[in-house]
Amino acid sequence: MLPRLRPRVVVRIARWELFRGTGTLDRRTIGVYLVGLVVLAGALPMAAGSGLAIDEGIYRVGAPGDTPYRDVVESDPTFVVRGDGQSAAADGRLTADEGYELVFADGELLLATDGGEPTPKARAALAALRRSVESYNDRRMAEEPNATAAFPVRVTLRYADRRGAGGAGAAVSGGGNGGDGGGGATGSGAGTAGGTGAGSRDGSGGGAGAGSSGGLSPLGVDLFGTGTTDGSPSQIAPPFPFQSLVLAFAFLLPLNFVVQAYSSSVLRERINRRGELLLVAPVSAAEIVAGKTLPYLVAAVGLAGVVTAVVGGGALSVLAVGSLALLYLGTAFLGAMLARSFKELTFVVVTISVGLMTFAFVPAIFADVDPLALISPLTLVVRDLTGTAVTPSGVAFATLPATLAAAVLFGLGLGVYREEDMFTQRPVHLKALDALGGRIRSPRSLVGLTAVLIPFVFVAELLAVAALFALPGGLSIPLVLVVVAVVEEFAKSVPVLAGFVDGRYPRTRRTALLAGAASGLGFFLGEKLTLVVQLVGLPELRVGSAAFQMGGGGPLVAGALLLAPLALHVVTAGISALGAARGTGAWLAGTALAVLVHVAYNLSVVVALV
Amino acid sequence: MIEVEGLRKEYGGFVAVEGSSFAVAPGEVFGVIGPNGAGKTTTLKMLAGLVEPTAGSARVAGYDAGDDEMRRHLGFLPEESPLYEEMTPRSYLRFFADLYGVDRATADERIERTLDRLDLDYRDRALGDVSKGMKRKVAIARSLVNDPDVLVYDEPASGLDPLTTNYIVDFTRELADRGKTVVFSAHNLYHVESVCDRIAIMNEGRVVAQGPVEELRREHGTTEYHVYADVDLDGATRENGGFRLTVESMDDVEAVRAELDGREGRIVDIRTSESSLEGVFLDLASRDDGPRSTGEAGSRGENGIRNGTEDGARAENGNGTEDGNGRGTDA
Repeated sequence: MLPRLRPRVVVRIARWELFRGTGTLDRRTIGVYLVGLVVLAGALPMAAGSGLAIDEGIYRVGAPGDTPYRDVVESDPTFVVRGDGQSAAADGRLTADEGYELVFADGELLLATDGGEPTPKARAALAALRRSVESYNDRRMAEEPNATAAFPVRVTLRYADRRGAGGAGAAVSGGGNGGDGGGGATGSGAGTAGGTGAGSRDGSGGGAGAGSSGGLSPLGVDLFGTGTTDGSPSQIAPPFPFQSLVLAFAFLLPLNFVVQAYSSSVLRERINRRGELLLVAPVSAAEIVAGKTLPYLVAAVGLAGVVTAVVGGGALSVLAVGSLALLYLGTAFLGAMLARSFKELTFVVVTISVGLMTFAFVPAIFADVDPLALISPLTLVVRDLTGTAVTPSGVAFATLPATLAAAVLFGLGLGVYREEDMFTQRPVHLKALDALGGRIRSPRSLVGLTAVLIPFVFVAELLAVAALFALPGGLSIPLVLVVVAVVEEFAKSVPVLAGFVDGRYPRTRRTALLAGAASGLGFFLGEKLTLVVQLVGLPELRVGSAAFQMGGGGPLVAGALLLAPLALHVVTAGISALGAARGTGAWLAGTALAVLVHVAYNLSVVVALV
Repeated sequence: MIEVEGLRKEYGGFVAVEGSSFAVAPGEVFGVIGPNGAGKTTTLKMLAGLVEPTAGSARVAGYDAGDDEMRRHLGFLPEESPLYEEMTPRSYLRFFADLYGVDRATADERIERTLDRLDLDYRDRALGDVSKGMKRKVAIARSLVNDPDVLVYDEPASGLDPLTTNYIVDFTRELADRGKTVVFSAHNLYHVESVCDRIAIMNEGRVVAQGPVEELRREHGTTEYHVYADVDLDGATRENGGFRLTVESMDDVEAVRAELDGREGRIVDIRTSESSLEGVFLDLASRDDGPRSTGEAGSRGENGIRNGTEDGARAENGNGTEDGNGRGTDA
């Protein structure tokens, strides 16, 4: 049942919270905040107006005056032209210690090499040069009076199998356009993968472009193989969208200050029982919390609006930051409900800030790499700032998990927003169990409780995918399978343990099995929510496919893949529940055993089925 | 106005309140006393709807405890009432009046009247800058902003100076005289005795006795006989040139008389003393034999009080006095 929320009461409490909050700030704190705002307000327009130019002059190029590319590199601040570079490439080779990444010599483009192989920076320079040439050509063409001649429309149709289409399609597109451009650096291409190496003498430049994801092998065929290109960052070259990322950071930064003030306000209600009298008033706990949260949410979204107006984003940015702000506030609320002192709260808030900044920022670095970056709502901001289109399903994928996770966090916090829990001095981990235990009435209620924890599982698994995505495929996939098993088994067993610790049901073997089955069933039902990843095509990434087990196969395999997880979750949750019934130590041992069973399932059953 | 039946609260394996039952009529001041940890505060919080009972029921002003409508008819004052110290008394009270749905004009009138009655100056000074007594008065004023029918006060005078304490105790009595139902807990038994119409004594989570103070005294108190003799007796103390021996029954008195006869001595005087409320409380608090009821036993302490209390725990009566009136005063 949804908690009662009367707008008049919520607004009244919000007004009071706002009034009270302004009264608690001393002059020094106000001064620090004002200086911070002034600096931010001054820095953002400057950044927006002149550009951050973080990548200015990062690639050194040698280009004689007679090469047509001289104009290209001189017009792009990413490159710095250091003479003609002919002396460095006198023998037709260019080594890294010559001080160039690229040198145009005798009509060819030389890449700096180290040990006979082009350096990563040279590859990145080549990718940047391709884009630069494309932009240069577009500008030149735009100056042509005959637009039809300047931009002829050509359509090339190639039919391809849907599976692996991402890689294959990119190769087709890139190759075709590269050819049209007459080869070399002038070849434009929407997809850079498979594009020719701009006539590079060693021919190694191909495939280095961002977005390359050639030829994903189906899961199970080459589970640990590294022989294919899988689109991981180890095979992606910079530059990343630095400017947009830094501007996106400006959206994120104020949230850290907002949660600090918000969590302090929540904790102040708990110190010395200050909030007790509000609990006696004819208002619900949900109305109190909503009223206290509203000013901070408005502040967070309002700041996002201001930043948007300054840096030139749109409603999409505000929407994305809004969902992120909810997640920040939900986490801060629960943290403040669990912390026993301001000292503990400091630790909690720092953890929240670092954790959520990582969650938001790291995936957004790969904003140009579909679809993984959409894990983070901040990616929407980056795309909004760069003018990249995002589908509605992409928006939902980026914002819904964070919003749902925030709702669950508020729900758990509300469970302990009552006299019996909010003023006690129990250790944080026991209060966390209380928060879960407060939602349990019987083993059966674990079905719903475990199901609503799915957003956390989802976010944790996506974060694991994002973190492990950077590793080579041979290492990342087994690690993902282990991390997923750990996350899921803890998500199922912690609520069961909370029920035992809170005395919600007796510590018997029968109850444990019943609770385990309920938890496993709830998890299974909630897990089906992860089907949303299909909307954005995440399973097309190997690590994504491994994490969410979206293999191919016929109806039989599909049916088995649907029911096998139910059996798995019930069995493993039962194992950990049997441990939980005996105590915390046995619960840990039981959960470890459940993780082992889960990993074995991931490694054997899924591979065999697919 | 308040009906409590079989109230029980269990925290994990610890039973804080066990089977409490009592009723409080409109206009009555009902005191709840007991040693620390007896379950008084938990009982009052269950009445206020702050703590959910494990079993049993509590109805306040015709509503189940915790019900929203019940909260509108209740004024609760917890033992600790930390305020929002950055607010002023006036803004603080207005805020709560608003939460209770009291319109601004009524709230302002009611707030000013209450603050006048409580002699609270500094109405626009931050609460953090006023004295503890002033804060307590603001907390009491807060409990009245909704003009409740029922007031539940937990240690309303806790930690205050005697002057403020008396002021608050008198004010509590005044509220009851105005028709409010008041449930009141305190450690100071004199205050309880002076303001409460009836009391409940709690020990180890149970209501071990309840009823009017005088009735409890008669029911649970004891009478001691102080025999003054002109010769020394085994166990006697020297007093005013004679010897005093305290015994617990008239049979003992007769035994003393027989002994004195054998030693050519005589009884000079006999005085009796009854238990004060504190004596009853200490006696009951030291027992653990389950709930008791009152009003069914005969009255043993029919003698009136003449000389006040002896060592603060007993009221001593003159020998043979039969007026049956009066109340002991604390030393």
